[in-house]
Amino acid sequence: MRTEAIDPPGIAWQRVSPKYITVRLVEWALANLAAVLVLSAPLLFVLLGWWRWPPLWLATTVPAVMLLVAVWRLVLIPRQVRAIGYAERGDDLLVRSGIFFQRTMAVPYGRMQYVDIAVGPVERGLGLCTVKLHTASPGTNARIPGLPAAEGARLREQLAARGEARLAGL
Amino acid sequence: MTADGQLPGQPVLPPAAAGPESSRTPDGEWLRVHPASPFVRGWVALAAIAFFFGRDLVERSLQGQPVFEEGFDRRAPWLLGGGAVVLAVAVLGFVLAWYFTKYQVSAGYVRVNSGLLYRQHRQARLDRVQAIDIVQPLLARIFGLAELKFEVADAGESAVRLAYLKIADARQLRATILAQASGAVAGAGSGSGSVGGLGGPGGAGPGGSAGPGQLTQPAPEAPEFTVLAVPPSRLIGSLLLSEQSFFIVVGGAASVFLSALTDNRAFYFYLVPAALGLAASYWNFFNKGYNFTAAISPDGIRLRYGLLDTQAQTLPPGRIQAVKIAQPPLWRPFGWYRMQVNVAGYGTSGNAVEGNTRTILLPVGKFADVLAMLSLVLPDPGTDQPEAVFAAGLGGFDSDGGFVTTPRRARLLAPLAWRRNGFAATDTALLIRSGRWWRELVVVPHQRTQSMALHQGPVARRFRVADLVLHTTAGPVAPRLTQAGLDEARQLFDEQSARARLARKRQTTEQWLRQVVPAVEPAAVPHTPVPGAPHPGTPASEARTHYQQEGQTHG
Repeated sequence: MRTEAIDPPGIAWQRVSPKYITVRLVEWALANLAAVLVLSAPLLFVLLGWWRWPPLWLATTVPAVMLLVAVWRLVLIPRQVRAIGYAERGDDLLVRSGIFFQRTMAVPYGRMQYVDIAVGPVERGLGLCTVKLHTASPGTNARIPGLPAAEGARLREQLAARGEARLAGL
Repeated sequence: MTADGQLPGQPVLPPAAAGPESSRTPDGEWLRVHPASPFVRGWVALAAIAFFFGRDLVERSLQGQPVFEEGFDRRAPWLLGGGAVVLAVAVLGFVLAWYFTKYQVSAGYVRVNSGLLYRQHRQARLDRVQAIDIVQPLLARIFGLAELKFEVADAGESAVRLAYLKIADARQLRATILAQASGAVAGAGSGSGSVGGLGGPGGAGPGGSAGPGQLTQPAPEAPEFTVLAVPPSRLIGSLLLSEQSFFIVVGGAASVFLSALTDNRAFYFYLVPAALGLAASYWNFFNKGYNFTAAISPDGIRLRYGLLDTQAQTLPPGRIQAVKIAQPPLWRPFGWYRMQVNVAGYGTSGNAVEGNTRTILLPVGKFADVLAMLSLVLPDPGTDQPEAVFAAGLGGFDSDGGFVTTPRRARLLAPLAWRRNGFAATDTALLIRSGRWWRELVVVPHQRTQSMALHQGPVARRFRVADLVLHTTAGPVAPRLTQAGLDEARQLFDEQSARARLARKRQTTEQWLRQVVPAVEPAAVPHTPVPGAPHPGTPASEARTHYQQEGQTHG
């Protein structure tokens, strides 16, 4: 299904590093495979004859559904990562994400209170980082993941400089 | 003191050095809060101790046993000694906390030093003041004391609290802080020398000559002008017709019905604690909302309310981040509305109940009251016909008042509300309305928009609609435009960025009396009370603000 982007037309989006897919894959593996394994335990016990209660169909269905969902998520990861983008405009930073559930956010430079750079263990191994923007609103949940470390540092400096130039009160 | 919010790791200072560090102390005088405050603050602890020791005696006497059992003679010294020690420790704790708490107002800052083991030095910039409250719990009121709460918005720092001061001192301090914060008095820390001759009505005067930090110069209290008052009868009516009452009636009927059906009397017993809880809840609302009055002064909006515990809030101009006007279905026959606001610092502070009451701008009011309050919050509505636009926002459908609603193609997504869900933009604020039964209008000044986002899920995409979320500070108002047509939403997203940018440029300082002249002449001149004019106690009907002086009548 071709989806129509909700963001304003005519914006040259900067995309995040394709290496970020690896980060998402590791996160996916940790979360989903663990869940599938845990949910498969009753099936194993039933098959071994230790447990009686969950009937075989139930013990099979639950992990199977979970596995399907997990695989579906896995398939989506590359698309999702490609959908993340950001654009520095004159007065605000645009951040977009998602294809199925789209979100486009505009954060004015003058409203930024501080900018964080976070690096997780997997990201560090790949030389990536995540830039987070904070305004006075807790609703501003603007993070740009999967930036190369140099680009992240540049973006932070850029945002800090522009924010200082345009800083407004609350 | 060992209350919450201490910064660990501060060195333990010997008592001699525990006062202000003279090398860093600015000129202002370091003061302590009122000596009675440890007892007013600690009365709960004292009451608990009394209760603990008294309960046994009361129970015994009620059971007809001898008040003192046989071995009491031997245990009495221990009991008395233990009680005395606990009492002494409690009192000593409060007294020490009082002794080591000092505050100072000077050079654009309020500083509070507190703590015995863990010293805490808190410093708040006056020009970042978001709100000042004077709170008087019942006991403090009896002693003529008050607590001063001072909300700043520096990096999520919670309120600066001074508990307790003499009520006159608290008012004086509030006036001083507001005079400095508004820029009416020099030395507000911004460094720019010129006061600008903008001394607000009654704001500057003698204080204008005070040098930086010399705070002993008392600033006169800004004159006030009462805008509206909520009569107790209307408050009671609004409580009886609240959603809560509706659920009580339904729940009560259901439980009576069930108990009749199952012949089970136990249901009645469950009703007793429920009724007690509800009575407490109603009482709480009544106690907090009683005698609600709103007034305007050059320092901002003053809200006063409370039956036993009274509270006076001051919201300086431009500190309100978003307003929500709501009308539950049961209120509609009476034309009542409730107004809530987001103010930085209010949403994050303290417990939920306190946060709830503080964010209420108008507990219950008629349309005229709503307009009066809106004219305080938004002195320049940015439109020629504010009354018509706000009336359309509160009760209108479709394109009344210039609103843009959910397109007809998406009516399946909101079969009832699609004709209501919509937005209108004036020169100064964005209005978002929603709800067919639970009517709601959210007003966000363009200056106050933090960031915003467009959202669209798969279903919304089928109908080519999208949601626009405006981000504001924490609080009860969450502005969200639901199911706007995609093209309109996209256009609004762009336009709103531009409008917010323009509004930010216009507002350059946090000191509201030094505000630069707006680039665009406002459509309606904000109502400025004349100092000294014989206005106190003017009834709201006469004090109707300019919204209604435009000649438009609300039909």
